[in-house]
Amino acid sequence: MPSWQEFQPFIVTGLALGGVYALSGVGMVVLYRTTGVLNLAFGAVGAMGALIAWQAINEWGWAEEPAYLVCVLFGGVVTLLYGLIFGPPLASRDPLVKATATLGLALILLGAMSWIWSDKARSMILPTSTESFQVGDVLVNYTQVLGIVFGVVVTVGTVLFLRFTKLGTAMRGLANDREITATLGVPVRRVEASAWLVSGLISGVAGLLLSNLVGLDAATLTFLVISSLAAALIARLSSVVVTLLAGFVVGLATALATPILSISEYRNMAPFVLATLALLWLSRKGHTISGRAV
Amino acid sequence: MSIKLVLGHSRRIVAFAALAVGLALFVAACGGDDNGGGGGKKSDFGGKTGKTASKCGLGNGKPASGAPIKLGAINTKQPGTDFTEIAKTAEAYFKCVNDNGGINGRPVELIQETEQTDPAQAAAAAKKLIETEKVAGIVGSTSIIECAVNHKYYEANGYYVIGSGIAPECYGTPNYSAVNMGPRHSVTGATQYLIREGVKKLVLLQSKVPGTEYIAGGFLALAKQEGIPTESLAEAPPIQDANSVALKVVQAAGDGGGVVLNFTPPEALKVLQAAAQQGLQDRVKWACSTPCNTDFLADALGTTFDDKLGVNAELALVSIDAPDTNLYKTILKKYAPDIPLGSFSQFGFLEARIATDAMLGIKGEVNKDSVNEAFKNVKGFKTDMLCKPYYFGEAPLHISNNTDWTVTPKTGTMVQKEDCFEISEADAPIKRVRDIEKKEGLYTPVGG
Amino acid sequence: MSVAEAPRRERAAWSPARLDRGERIRAVIIVALLLLVLFALPARMSAYWTNVATQVAIFSVVSLGLGMLIGRVGLVSLGQYAVLALGAWVGARLCFATGLPFPMVLLLTGLITMVLGTLVGLPALRLSGLYLALITLMLAAAITVVLNATNFPNGGKGFLGHVENDFGNPEVRRPSIAETDPAYFRYAVIVAVVLFLIALLHVRGKPGRAWAAIRQSEPAALAAGVNITLYKLWAFALASFMTGVAGGVLAGDVGELFVQQFPTSNNIVLLAVVLMGGVYSIWGAIVAGALFKLLPALLDNWGLPADLLTILFGVGILQVLLTAPAGLVYQFPRDMKRLGGALLGLARRVGIAGGRAS
Repeated sequence: MPSWQEFQPFIVTGLALGGVYALSGVGMVVLYRTTGVLNLAFGAVGAMGALIAWQAINEWGWAEEPAYLVCVLFGGVVTLLYGLIFGPPLASRDPLVKATATLGLALILLGAMSWIWSDKARSMILPTSTESFQVGDVLVNYTQVLGIVFGVVVTVGTVLFLRFTKLGTAMRGLANDREITATLGVPVRRVEASAWLVSGLISGVAGLLLSNLVGLDAATLTFLVISSLAAALIARLSSVVVTLLAGFVVGLATALATPILSISEYRNMAPFVLATLALLWLSRKGHTISGRAV
Repeated sequence: MSIKLVLGHSRRIVAFAALAVGLALFVAACGGDDNGGGGGKKSDFGGKTGKTASKCGLGNGKPASGAPIKLGAINTKQPGTDFTEIAKTAEAYFKCVNDNGGINGRPVELIQETEQTDPAQAAAAAKKLIETEKVAGIVGSTSIIECAVNHKYYEANGYYVIGSGIAPECYGTPNYSAVNMGPRHSVTGATQYLIREGVKKLVLLQSKVPGTEYIAGGFLALAKQEGIPTESLAEAPPIQDANSVALKVVQAAGDGGGVVLNFTPPEALKVLQAAAQQGLQDRVKWACSTPCNTDFLADALGTTFDDKLGVNAELALVSIDAPDTNLYKTILKKYAPDIPLGSFSQFGFLEARIATDAMLGIKGEVNKDSVNEAFKNVKGFKTDMLCKPYYFGEAPLHISNNTDWTVTPKTGTMVQKEDCFEISEADAPIKRVRDIEKKEGLYTPVGG
Repeated sequence: MSVAEAPRRERAAWSPARLDRGERIRAVIIVALLLLVLFALPARMSAYWTNVATQVAIFSVVSLGLGMLIGRVGLVSLGQYAVLALGAWVGARLCFATGLPFPMVLLLTGLITMVLGTLVGLPALRLSGLYLALITLMLAAAITVVLNATNFPNGGKGFLGHVENDFGNPEVRRPSIAETDPAYFRYAVIVAVVLFLIALLHVRGKPGRAWAAIRQSEPAALAAGVNITLYKLWAFALASFMTGVAGGVLAGDVGELFVQQFPTSNNIVLLAVVLMGGVYSIWGAIVAGALFKLLPALLDNWGLPADLLTILFGVGILQVLLTAPAGLVYQFPRDMKRLGGALLGLARRVGIAGGRAS
């Protein structure tokens, strides 16, 4: 068993990893709360954006900033297009159907990515990844900080937006009942479109950060949503704040199990076990959590 | 109404799919364009190309004709792991042979199969090659599981495979002779480097693949002989928390310890980059098995690990000026400009070159029996890509590549750090192979 | 609650005496097809296609298990591929640990996997819809992590039975009557047929009616006196039993198993092919098995990249969810009929035009 001294640095890396989970978790919950769609293609969209940025910098000789911008815009545009094309026909369907449909998008993008950028290893280093500062024994780089800050900013922004703006109220209404909201004169399509666009932009930014924090690999980033979902599930896909906190808890649990060599190999179960336990706990006393948007 | 709706949906899907695919093609086209024009970073020849280069096959400039000699290869290809470069480079070499007289006039055709770490696929691919395509030999295979799944099948059908390997069975069975030494012995080589650096504790961190415990065997045997405490750890790829992993191994090794990594380049890069970002380069000594020997890794690491990471190199650096290496670079440039220089393409080149030489020596009909007999009889194949000659021969196991180099990153490229040294006989398979070599007269001491 | 409305085709309880004429004809056709597959096909297939066909048979059973959960009961599980991995593990373990005859091994594998798979399905009692799908995905991911640490049995000692060396390991044995590849293909098909029949009996019998009621509306089913807990668990138990037996057959197919062949992402791919094949028909499962294992082999033979397959599955999911909830088995004949009609119309028009011209 490692000493407390030895555990300390893992608190820092755990928070950084928690930032990773929180980032994608929050991105997914934001869209779910506003449109009732759990976008499982969140990771795939970001991954493709990051790979396009890599292509622009390394193969087309672009400067870094416009390439990063293209990555973020790609996320926004693809997600928005998907929302405009598939949002309306699926609007009245079960949340499960909506989520499954986004798996379709994820597979299309994943196939395209492994077709174009198959094979060799790539890496793209943000300027923030090369600068770091000391926390205790650990050096923390600014991309890790950026990940956490971005997660917090998106969370706070979403909470404020949903609570205090007209559009936000409309979105909350929309998530509850599309028909009634439409009857009340809310421009449903426009409201939904803006939710898709914003969550798409978030996925683009997340893709950039995650490609640095986790690695620039299509399959890894696409299926990272499975781990990040844990955070979202602990929050029952409804609270952005709880998702953020759950992300950090999951990250910490994983990191703190790392130095204990006897269980280290099993630490990646932490997100899944925590999510399962949380869901079962939340659904105790015979309450059934249905798939309908809350 | 409902039909209209359905049609509407169909059109949406088609439009969307078309959009996605169109986008993909656009990006691919842009990428392809770049590769065609100038070659970019990928084939940088450093101005050393071809002063003295070997020839492909007969080297007579006459195109081969007639019925092709079919050979087959099976490679792993799945998201994150792609070994098809190896067979593609072998194919490029055969193209060059076909343009230069072929195998005494007959061209060579390499049939390439892939598998996704699926034993059923790997088994089916071997059956397709041997029973449907009726290939004369197997050359250029590299797979995570293929040797394990197919070695009995090859033994039963009399095929002698010239390949490169990962699975333990590529080195411990009678019908494989790989041009590389594989992860177990490369890890041992990296460990020897660390022992020479005087480390007090050894930690092995490797990717969780079939055979992880087997791979650690040499490392543990050597450390035991030297009386150095050890810790052997594995991580399932892809690593999501490289920072914690880097910290973990450094803590496990402690002050004055050494860490050996055995990963694919991108995974190793994650751990090394995380170590660099946390300033852990100097806390322990770092070493890496052969996959780290690529300029991709050196380039991505910048100068952070210059002279601080010893990479065991099973094959010579691509930057040397020597006949076979020069031919290899010329062939890639002419026949496969998209394939980067590095260990993988070197494997493919070398396997095809050995196979071609063996087939050129066949007197009489070139068929399955004569080709495999020729493969089996290869010995003393000298090349500047290996420290000592390659051989096949009849033996219960083959590790002809058991002497190699240590390289290290330096300002974005790999440079040599240690000259050829023998992999330690502390590990039983190496001892066994050396005994066989000495008995058969195949043993060549370092520098000899 | 279900992915889509099922085509309404209520049937009387299944018994040979009550088969009407159409069904009798269909049964004859099926038996004829089966005889063809069992006796004519293996002799004509190369070793390669025999291996591929065996895999199709195995994965048809896996697809049927998931298809029934989705189509009959309205429960979407994203953990069935992990259950298959468990089945393969148990099958291999039993083969090495015991000298039981192979059918006994398969039966025991099915039963043990049934218990494990029902545990995975246990949350279904509390959760439904999206949450159930996601929690089964979480459990699948957790199972993959554990398997990564334990590896598959390959003749080693101890509970895990895993050993590593460089001279090869003993293979999971095949039944003595099916040592060769063609014989094992026949064996796999017969096992699949038996499992399909078991599934059919369930669907046509009392469980099928209970499931239909649950799918329509749980409160209504409850009011009608259907024991929801029992029948939901029954569905998971049946699907897991079938998947477990399929895992046992898979273990014997190549004889060696690797963790890397069961990535978590395959749970998603399995859902895609099952939806594409069609969840309301038994034939859909066979189509799904073919999509999963035959199509990649075909693409490979045509020299097309496997990545196209991923794209195709993605498009397939969207297509099924939007326009063809019953999957390819319903959609394809309809499309063909429509295409045929269009061609006929075209031919007629051209014929008329041609007639006028002459």
